[in-house]
Amino acid sequence: MDCIEVRNHLLDLGRGTLSGELHERVDSHLEGCAACRGEDAADRELSAALRDRLPKRRAPDALRRSIEARLTGEPPRASRGMGRTWGVSLVAAAAFAAAAVVALLLWRPHDSDAMLAEAVNDHLRVLYSDHPVEIESGGIHQVKPWFTGRLDFAPVVAFGGDDDFPLEGGAVAYFLDRKAATFIFKRRLHVITLFVFRAEGLPWPALATQPLGGARGTLETSRGFHVLTWRKGDLGYALVSDVDPTDLQMLAVKVAGGV
Amino acid sequence: MRAPSHLTLVPQPKPGPDEADVEIWYPELVPKATVALPRTALEHLDALYRVARSLTGRDDDAEDLVQETYARAISGWAQFTAGTNLRAWLFRILRNAFIDNYRRSRTNPVQVGFDEEFATSLTSDSREPVRSDVELERLRSVVTADIEEALASLSVDARAIILLDLEGFTETELADSLGCAVGTVKSRLARARAVLRERLRDYGS
Repeated sequence: MDCIEVRNHLLDLGRGTLSGELHERVDSHLEGCAACRGEDAADRELSAALRDRLPKRRAPDALRRSIEARLTGEPPRASRGMGRTWGVSLVAAAAFAAAAVVALLLWRPHDSDAMLAEAVNDHLRVLYSDHPVEIESGGIHQVKPWFTGRLDFAPVVAFGGDDDFPLEGGAVAYFLDRKAATFIFKRRLHVITLFVFRAEGLPWPALATQPLGGARGTLETSRGFHVLTWRKGDLGYALVSDVDPTDLQMLAVKVAGGV
Repeated sequence: MRAPSHLTLVPQPKPGPDEADVEIWYPELVPKATVALPRTALEHLDALYRVARSLTGRDDDAEDLVQETYARAISGWAQFTAGTNLRAWLFRILRNAFIDNYRRSRTNPVQVGFDEEFATSLTSDSREPVRSDVELERLRSVVTADIEEALASLSVDARAIILLDLEGFTETELADSLGCAVGTVKSRLARARAVLRERLRDYGS
């Protein structure tokens, strides 16, 4: 087995899907070939980078509703730019727009569940990631400038961590259909993730009862994780962790209080 | 006897001796799955959007590309063969829609095929080889934006095979989506990833 053939199997080797005999032949080659061992290590690192650092985007809700309407035979919406195949008349488009507004109003209460699910899923990605932080913390004044050029907004977070809630670092992630600044704090051995994102257009919960200094938030629980969300100005915030809710609120007050 | 164009016909077992010289065709017993694109097609929406977003590099263009994909799937549903892979079929439509439509709107045409990719990469192969420990260190330090930029520099098919593999596509599905032979998928994927690693040399610390 030569190097070219071996390199075609490195991905399967890394995934543990090589069959017995082939596995042995590839292993045997790697033992005697430093170049292919280097390729194997680099290939595994590439897999980790692609898996952990590419955003796990979801289709925007509006797109989902539009496609779903098409599949169920309802009138399609007009699309922008390239997708001009729908060709709806103005009258039909107007009627559909009115229906869409009604549908949107009816839909919102259920969409806030999507925000809750997204916050927990994004937090789980942080927990399972081999590289949860892209910029390690040397303090908030090192982390915040790192986001410049990586986001289309400036995350407003004054709290830079303390002994109770040390700031581990930051990363760029996706929250539903938009980019989010991710700050990772610790509380003893627990990880707390703070997502900061543009608030506009999201289906925020109707009731925000938790006092958070300069804001009011909503505390919800899903799959054993507590999620505290609030909005301030143009920005939205979501804190997620399995710590006690009072700890989460304490951190939220620190973050929101400086906002 | 020729089959009417609107029916899929299959030959039946040999008839009795008196009719041995007559070939009889009957309507196929396996029907087309449904009369319209099923709602299960929605299950692939997020994956389609992710790939579309990577191909187009823009949220709004990705939405349009996905809309276009479903529009083509709905209008072309009669061409889908029941029992074949819906996911691969949808991604093949997306790829074709991107190539057909998106590149027309750009000043610089996009690279499509693997051949272009590897022809281009040959020139860069002449660069200094990178020590594996140095490459590992760089790969560990690349961030999301670096990976997305490096991916965007690949040809459509090289990007697609990497992204679809990440979505968990089997080799058969990859071949169906990209319109290539199953036997070439493994080597194409390995080479596409090798080119991506080479492009990532310019990023990281």
